[in-house]
This record gives sequence, C-alpha cells and structure tokens, in this order.
Amino acid sequence: MTPDEPRGDRSGRNASALAAAIAELGIPCALEARGGLALLLPTSEGVAALQVDETRRAVLALAKQHGFTHVAIELPNDRRKSSTPPTDAPLPSD
Amino acid sequence: MALELDTLSEAELAAKTEALAAWMRANAPVAIGYSGGVDSAFLAVVARRTLGAEGALAIIGRSASYPEVQWATAREVAQRFDVPVLELDTAELDDPRYAANPNNRCYYCKTELWSKLVPAARARGFDTIIDGTNADDLGDWRPGAQAAREHGVASPLAALGFSKGHVRLASRALELPTWQQPSSPCLSSRVPYGTEVTSERLRQIERAEAALRRLGVEGDLRVRYHDELARVELARAELAGWMEPARLAMLRDAVSEAGFARVAVDLRGFRSGSLNVLHGVTPA
Repeated sequence: MTPDEPRGDRSGRNASALAAAIAELGIPCALEARGGLALLLPTSEGVAALQVDETRRAVLALAKQHGFTHVAIELPNDRRKSSTPPTDAPLPSD
Repeated sequence: MALELDTLSEAELAAKTEALAAWMRANAPVAIGYSGGVDSAFLAVVARRTLGAEGALAIIGRSASYPEVQWATAREVAQRFDVPVLELDTAELDDPRYAANPNNRCYYCKTELWSKLVPAARARGFDTIIDGTNADDLGDWRPGAQAAREHGVASPLAALGFSKGHVRLASRALELPTWQQPSSPCLSSRVPYGTEVTSERLRQIERAEAALRRLGVEGDLRVRYHDELARVELARAELAGWMEPARLAMLRDAVSEAGFARVAVDLRGFRSGSLNVLHGVTPA
C-alpha cells in the first residue's frame, strides 16, 4: 500500500475512517475492529445518542459503507473500571 | 413480539394442515425428530391427532448443545397434547470434527442425532422418520439437511410448502403454545465457526441468555460468543426499549454474571444466521 492510499485492509474495511464518520454524527468513540464486527466504545453521551432509532440506523449505514457487517456498542463495566490502575500509572502505548 | 405470519385464509390454512395430515396417514406410523421448537412441535401434535398415540412418536435427542429451557418446552407440549416421547442422549461434542466448529458443524451434529434416532425409531416399528425443516429453511445454509437425507429422514413441511409463517398460523389454530415462540437453534449456533465448541462455553452462553430472559427480554435473543466478549442480539422490536443507559447496565450485569468479561449490544439486533454473515458464509 502506498502512503497515499486510504487506510484499510483487503476486505475494504476502514476502522479509523468509520470512527471519524461516526464522530461526525456527534458520537465520538473508540472503535475496535474484530473482523467484520465494528465494536464501538462510545462515551455516555454517545450511548444516550444511540437511543434514537434514526441515529442507530445512520451508524449501521456508515458501518456498511466502510465494509463492516456488524456493529455493536460495548457496555463499559464500572466494576471493572474500579480495579484499573491509578491515573499516575504508565499509560498503554496505544 | 413482531412475528412474520404469512397471509393465508382460514380455508387455505385448513387445506394445508389437512394435506399434512394426509401425508402422515400415507406414511404412518411416524416418528418425529422433536426439539420442542415451533416446527417439530407442530409436526408432533398433527401426527398425534391424525394417527393416535400408537402412530406417533416424538424423539428428543438430548446433549450439551440443547438448551434446558427448550427441553422443558418439549416435555410440556408433549404432555399437554399427549404425544408419546422417547428421549435419547446424543454426544456430538465428543466428535472432534464437530467440536472444531467448521462451517458444516451442523452436518456432524445431525449425523450423530440421526444415527441414534433412526435405529431407535425403527426398532419400535416406526419406519417413517421426519424432521421440522420448513420451506423457508431450503434457501438457507443448512448443512445438517444433508445428514437428514443420508439417513432417509423426510421433511414434509418443506415438501408441502409450509413456510415458518404458515407453521406459526397453523400452530395458533391448533392452540399450540409454541406458535409465537422465537426460533431456537442449538446453543452452538452462538459460537463463531473456527472457535472450539465446549460444554463450558455452551453453559456460559445458556446462563447469559437465561439471565436476560429473567430480566424480561422477550422475542428473539442470542448471546454470540466472541471469546471474552459477549455480543447480545435482541429482537429489533425490543432493542429500542433496552437502549436506555440504566437498562443497558442491567443487561451488562446479567451477562457479566454469566462469566463474560466484556459485554456488547448489537445495534442492528437479532439476525438469523448472524455469524454466517460475519464469517462470509452467507452474504450480508
């Protein structure tokens, strides 16, 4: 792939472009690509926005445009969060 | 719950059900591969009503991939409609070709099922063995159908053009409690091809789905297994109602309790054959 080509894999999926497109809908989120599944990790505001049917449909349409067959939102586990390292711990590189 | 009920007049429905009864009479006695699902429950009750208790036998193949809740329904329906039942244990998970979970996994499961069920039926004088394959199933990816053919199992619902909607309508007319029951394939259908099927994983999925039912989730429901992640598919009519943050937290906690470290909700909702699509076996 040359530097000028869009980022994506052979399937045509482009996770970063999809995350950007979803952010433009007002739903900033991290996105984990697991094959054809786009796993979104939205903020609580983003989760609230996804209560609207039309918004969910728009996200699904964007995902399809970017080569994903499935989209899901991860439900953050607060209890798991409580066992995460303190904020002054080294951050993961990515 | 929104169901796809094909349009059929009362007279057309009665004629269709009578055609099935005539098929049963022509092929009596009849043993049914019986799971307690919508299709096989309908077949079992029509067979019992048409042929009497001597002419019908519903045979259940029990294994780790058969949900307990389905087993309970199967027994309940059989008892209510006085359908004779035989229960057999099957062990598809002991077959490494099945446990490896290739995309024709169902072929190995049904081979195990029919290799136990057919001889058991014949030993009891039942030469006609039928399954609940309906006309809609013919267009789907169903490698298990090959095993049925190899064992001489007939599919009268498909042969007579019964769609799933027809089966539901006819079941409602017979006052079968299963008429509006969600489709209920085996638990292994929640595990992506290539991921090993184990008893432990199936129990984990079953616990998660049972917990969601206890929360009040209705209609079609699947907890898809993605290693540490559970992806919950809710019926589309249910999805909007569960998207409220507090209710999502309830879903998450219920599924986490079943042993999944991460929980996600699919934004499209339930899709039959969802994992086939995800893995490119069938088109999106």
